[in-house]
Amino acid sequence: MNERRGIGDRGRTLKQMLEDNERLYQETGCYAGIVEPRLLREDPVRAELFHSRIMAALIAGRETTRMISGSPYVREVAELCIGLYTPEGDNIAQSTGIQVHIRLMGDNIQWMVRNNYEEEVGIEEGDLFIANDPVISGVHAADVYDMLPIFHDGELVGWVCTVIMEVDIGAVSPGCMPTPNVERGTDGLKFCCEKVGSKDRLRRDFEHKISISLDMSDIFLLDRKGAIAANIRVREEIRNIIREFGLEYFKGATRELIEEERRNQMARIRQRTVPGRYRDVVPAEFPMANQPVSWVPANRDVIRLIPIQMDILPSGRIVLDFEGTGEWGWHPFNATPKALWGGLSISVVQTLSYDGRANLGSLLPFEIKEPPVDSLLNPSQVRQLATSTMWSPLLDIYGLWMGMLGAAFYLRGFREETFNMRSSSGWQMYGYDQYGTKRPLMLSPLGNFGPGATGVCDGVDNAGWVATPETDMGSVEVWELFAPHLDFTRRFEPYSVGYGRFRSGLAIPTMYMPHGSRQMVASGAIGCAHDRIIPNLGLFGGYPGGRRNTILVRYANYQELLEKRQPLLCEIGDPREFGQQIQGEVLFLDHVLPPVEVHEGDLMIADNAAAGGLGDPIDRSPASVVSDLDEGLATEWMARNVYCVGVSYDDETKTWRTDEAETKRLREAKRKERLARGVPVKEWWQQARQRFMARSFDDRIVEMYRSSASLSQTFAQEVKDFWALPDNFAL
Amino acid sequence: MSYSKDDIRDLLEGRLAWDKIKEIMSSPKDDDRFDRCIEILQERVPWPERILMPLGEHLYVVDKSGERIVKCDCGHEFGDWRQNWKLNALIFARDTREKLEEIYPGIRCPDPNLCEVREFYCPGCGTLLKVESVPVGYPIIFDALPDIDSFYSEWLGRPLADRKEFKDMTCEVTRGWGLEADGAHG
Repeated sequence: MNERRGIGDRGRTLKQMLEDNERLYQETGCYAGIVEPRLLREDPVRAELFHSRIMAALIAGRETTRMISGSPYVREVAELCIGLYTPEGDNIAQSTGIQVHIRLMGDNIQWMVRNNYEEEVGIEEGDLFIANDPVISGVHAADVYDMLPIFHDGELVGWVCTVIMEVDIGAVSPGCMPTPNVERGTDGLKFCCEKVGSKDRLRRDFEHKISISLDMSDIFLLDRKGAIAANIRVREEIRNIIREFGLEYFKGATRELIEEERRNQMARIRQRTVPGRYRDVVPAEFPMANQPVSWVPANRDVIRLIPIQMDILPSGRIVLDFEGTGEWGWHPFNATPKALWGGLSISVVQTLSYDGRANLGSLLPFEIKEPPVDSLLNPSQVRQLATSTMWSPLLDIYGLWMGMLGAAFYLRGFREETFNMRSSSGWQMYGYDQYGTKRPLMLSPLGNFGPGATGVCDGVDNAGWVATPETDMGSVEVWELFAPHLDFTRRFEPYSVGYGRFRSGLAIPTMYMPHGSRQMVASGAIGCAHDRIIPNLGLFGGYPGGRRNTILVRYANYQELLEKRQPLLCEIGDPREFGQQIQGEVLFLDHVLPPVEVHEGDLMIADNAAAGGLGDPIDRSPASVVSDLDEGLATEWMARNVYCVGVSYDDETKTWRTDEAETKRLREAKRKERLARGVPVKEWWQQARQRFMARSFDDRIVEMYRSSASLSQTFAQEVKDFWALPDNFAL
Repeated sequence: MSYSKDDIRDLLEGRLAWDKIKEIMSSPKDDDRFDRCIEILQERVPWPERILMPLGEHLYVVDKSGERIVKCDCGHEFGDWRQNWKLNALIFARDTREKLEEIYPGIRCPDPNLCEVREFYCPGCGTLLKVESVPVGYPIIFDALPDIDSFYSEWLGRPLADRKEFKDMTCEVTRGWGLEADGAHG
């Protein structure tokens, strides 16, 4: 029998290569069975040059895309990334940028390989494939993958893939991460690894389809052209590298780069952490009761638990377990096991693998246990669900997970590496732009919350965004050209803080007013927050930042204020008094924000908050408290009541001063107060247990426990063990 | 790669300037960091027990006559490290709007029907050791249970005497509390 000659190495099909690779890994525990990374070690200078050339090609490709694209996401915020992959879809190297997709782009390649594209669809020189369906792999449909095979003398030797986050994918509730959508059909366009071009050119029929389907087709097509140009540029440079280094070296060294990174990652884990068990929990809120949904049963308010357990094993491997996660629901926030790898990728490159060598090898020491089937993280009905905001739970999970890993760093003494992150919220709008075209308008910048404190200094203000290590909100002026709005604020918000010996970074609330649009509707983006339960982000005695809010202010006297040149709101100010000076309505909108019509004179506020402080706030240096006061980053109330520092304002020098004796008195009093009102946990436990047994909770909490217990006997037993509940007690 | 004891002490104390911190963050990690930290921490505490591992800003797992217990730098002892130390702390649960607003005023305040912010204090010195924000009714979280014996034997190559089994023993405490409570009621 004649077997068909494949397009891969030594005439193998890509499927054979994939199966061989998986077998070798199983047999040896080393990527591609590379027990001895010979090529890299024999001539390390050559190896370094080889890797640098690949990285230079990828980063140059990324910049090429930015020059071609018309989207502020690409040009300003740089929400893109480019990776080089083996023929089987394993990541060799990633450019800078949103390195969420190290494994996810490879999943799409492997999906094509497993589905026999080689024979049934055809993979040829210059073929263009695109994908954005999180059912295959991804973290939301807005991320579009452009994939280009790299051939050398007729053999497929690799792939180059670019991911760009799109502003418009044609969702029913427009924008790129619509929240009211609950069913797949409302997500917008989905591409499941479709061949959309050949000979390096997009097909005209594909371009027509996009032009007809998307309001912002120009942006979408320019993004494709930017991605294709980058991919071609990388492909040609890879061919140069192959000519220079030789094909056999290229094939061997690219695989050795993955194996070496796997080993380096294991070594980092063993050098920087402490083996053991680390735990935390995400309470994910999905109030969907007021949403205008296509599927009416979706109108429910639910809370779901996502317990996180990280086991750092003595071997140096790390296992993540989400046992106890509650059920999926009709909302766009369900994730998938593959999406969990996306969140892990971007978290790993910000905590362990930040030396520019991150690739599949960075992830091989990790195992993510399959979350309970039909949980929020593993819905069997995923094909029927909207996937537009899958990111939401991932941001919450990995914001906390960074802190769990940070605790392991702390125990080992690497306190400078300890920090955590928080999800942020935003508005997205749709309607008529200032040029008269109806379209999705924008998603507000999201990288504007305060990351957690480290173990040796405060968190960096306004520098947090899980999705990218290079947080950049972009230029206000460019965003204002892109969408009809005025940007009102860029001020740090003191009360967004997570208090601690080292405080978190501060968030900036974003405030937008429609301007120049004849009709505009706004809704929430990502977490679109209104936390009822604040995330557990306080570290070693520090507090988590407080509640986030999504607020709509409707001025009744906007024109009058303008005419009198009176100030409009441009900061949150004292949270006790927020909105009191405003004539008009101040609406606190729900976690999942229903679309509302907005007009000039309305102010859309995403009042973000920070991650966690670290350490007891009364251990904070008084000099740091005064410095924050002088900079407008803290208030006198905080100084006295939280940090317990005596302060006074010097009118002459216009600076704050500390009073050492007063500080001593306040801090001693705080300790006494704690000892007086703190009760032994045993005493508290007995009362809390009675409450648990009586289910004396809000209905949503009762339902939350029921949901997790229905999917996990282990979780149910752990809760019962903690509260010493009878065996027959049903959660 | 190694830093001076003074540099590491300044780092722990929060006295290093940002440019130096950044340099440390961006450089290869120092292999002797753990030992340096233990040395510095040991000098800071007023008691003689050997610190095996820091567990927080003020908490340590120490070797006390062959037992491994959690101890605060003030000297208060919390028991075996395999039992969640929080069970032997003082707790102040912010479970009403009034209590929550002391920290999270106005629009920053979470919903006390759903959220509880638990503060764990050292009974010896009143230090705030941990803040835990969770849905009401959620079991107290055992944040970190280090596998100390594997760490010392397999990662540092210096096994500790009297290897202890690595397991979570917290429920032994709550089971006892349950029996006590049910006995009292029954």
